[in-house]
Amino acid sequence: MDVELAKPFVKAAMDVIGTMAFITPRPGKPFVKKNSMATGDVTGLVGLTGDGKRGSVSISFTKACAVAMVKNMLGDDIQDIIQDVKDAVGEITNMISGQARAGLSEKGLVFAGSTPTVIMGDNHSITHMAKSPIMAIPFETDAGAFTIEFCFE
Amino acid sequence: MGKLDGFHHKDFLEQVTTLNEIAGSKDSDALPGLLELLEKPTGDTGVDYMVVNTLNAVLGANEDVVARGLRSRNGAFRTLCIRAAGEYAFPEAAEPLAEMAEAETDPDILVEILAALAKIRPVDGAGVFRAFLGHDDPMLAALAMEMAGAYADPHAVVFLKAAVEATDEERTYEQCDITTWKAIDALASMATPETLEFLAANVHHINPTARRLITDALVRVGEPVIPHLERHYSQGNVDQRILACNIVGFIGSRKGADALVQGFDKGNFTDPNVRYAAYEALGRIGTLKGLVCLVDGLSENDELILMAVVTGLERHAAPGILKTVSDCIAVGDERSARIAHAVIASRALRLFQELYQNETVGAALIRALKKSQDADILADFAARLQDIGSERAKADAADLPTVQAATRKALAVDDSKSMLALYRSILTGLGFEALMAANGQEAYAFVEAGEFVDIVITDMNMPVMDGMELVGKLRGALGYEEVPILMVTTESEGSQRSMATKTGVTSFLTKPFKPDALKAKILEMLGG
Repeated sequence: MDVELAKPFVKAAMDVIGTMAFITPRPGKPFVKKNSMATGDVTGLVGLTGDGKRGSVSISFTKACAVAMVKNMLGDDIQDIIQDVKDAVGEITNMISGQARAGLSEKGLVFAGSTPTVIMGDNHSITHMAKSPIMAIPFETDAGAFTIEFCFE
Repeated sequence: MGKLDGFHHKDFLEQVTTLNEIAGSKDSDALPGLLELLEKPTGDTGVDYMVVNTLNAVLGANEDVVARGLRSRNGAFRTLCIRAAGEYAFPEAAEPLAEMAEAETDPDILVEILAALAKIRPVDGAGVFRAFLGHDDPMLAALAMEMAGAYADPHAVVFLKAAVEATDEERTYEQCDITTWKAIDALASMATPETLEFLAANVHHINPTARRLITDALVRVGEPVIPHLERHYSQGNVDQRILACNIVGFIGSRKGADALVQGFDKGNFTDPNVRYAAYEALGRIGTLKGLVCLVDGLSENDELILMAVVTGLERHAAPGILKTVSDCIAVGDERSARIAHAVIASRALRLFQELYQNETVGAALIRALKKSQDADILADFAARLQDIGSERAKADAADLPTVQAATRKALAVDDSKSMLALYRSILTGLGFEALMAANGQEAYAFVEAGEFVDIVITDMNMPVMDGMELVGKLRGALGYEEVPILMVTTESEGSQRSMATKTGVTSFLTKPFKPDALKAKILEMLGG
């Protein structure tokens, strides 16, 4: 039941990014991807295990969107933009994963989440290790786009 | 005096202990107190979170409370009850949940309600989900489709078919709506003659991702699909016939092989690409009838088709078949040379080892081997000759030519093993070092590992990452902005050429092609 798993992450992403970074994401039409690659400039990635399933969730931001989030969170007090973006995306990924997992655990779906990994690099790609189709949900914000991707098997 | 009286004034440890006790006893008497805590949280996230978990534990033991709680005015409590109803699959909750599904408008809550109902799965629940098949929220619609499949709801079929056909034209080639995906899976899990016929007719769906989802789904269904695919051998267009052959090959049942053999007998596989796919599928399945058909395939003239035949035979080299192949090569005519070449080019080492026992045939194979310019192939066969270990084999191994180290590199990408073998033979013949990849992702891994090539040859449709996406990524990779890229397509994919050109393809070649045509094309692209 991918939808049941995906929905809490979508909601958590909107909550967290809205509250922490004062950016309102507008979800687009979800789609299934043929390949297992996520592309973006900054990606936060967490692995999840539990309930007989394992999977990964990634959130890939464009550079513009990631920078805008950091600026909103830290104000003008930016020391080192690279380091700050890395921290912020890691922290946001962690919060989204935590909030979504809390919601899922109320339905008896208990997942353990790994510490988030942040990958940076212009237009990089990452690979989800899965044979099942990957569901992706695109978001638009005034500051740029980001995409959440899930795969569970 | 309840356990939760004065909770706010207790210290953290006492609060946790109290909640733990309640969670353990699951006593419904504690509910009013817990509800109050839900409304007036302590402010300590840890404790508040525990309150929710404790409530959940208590609800799990009190089905009637959950059923009543679904009508509660307290939104947070109602959500908890919805979740508990699903988690513990309370049958009593089914009716109120179904009523709520009708009245609720918030898509987030609707997902919760439907997910809970999905877990309870009441006998008469199909109708509730059916109402959401066309919902604006794609997630809800997808969930409804999943359940239509689980219920095998016959009334949903029309809707599901429409969802498969209605793939968004504006989607880029590698994206496909989740509703299309779920509709495909639902139709496959119903597996009625009607739904399977529909999926079989859509094997060449306009969207490549949907195409792959349909292929995967049909392979999962397995044998019952075969009669539906078989129909397309005679009625479908070239693409449908090819895909029908591929799927039957993946399913790998005897019935499928029989159907393929019949396809040959009835003359349905006249197109060379279809013949190729049919032989490849037969090779994958490998029943006796199929192998006899493959042996007949040895009289094919087309180098590529012959390689598919040899690759298939290599997999199932039975004594009777070896004898026939051996006899064919021993004749020493033009066809013998073609077969010997195919054995070498497709690296059929097992076949080679068996055939080599006959001196005449062995000599013919060595002649073909000596013509190869491919260092890897020469090395593989040399090693095999050493394994055979006879005096003759050792002498032949010592006599093999050594190939000059290639100065130019080429990258060939195709999901068909035989196609790759053909590329390899042609490329090494032209003095290239050939890198081989079974899909775009493997190919791109070479680039990421810092390989640089002089030319790229790629197929269009491949699993994991297709040719189009690979080209897009290559054009964005350092050092690959200008590298000539040749895309090999079937006639019918011509419509996608303009998109491919925009993505960065330098030139096209239509399958099937004569090896000389590919050679000429490569030389032309590299400026002679």
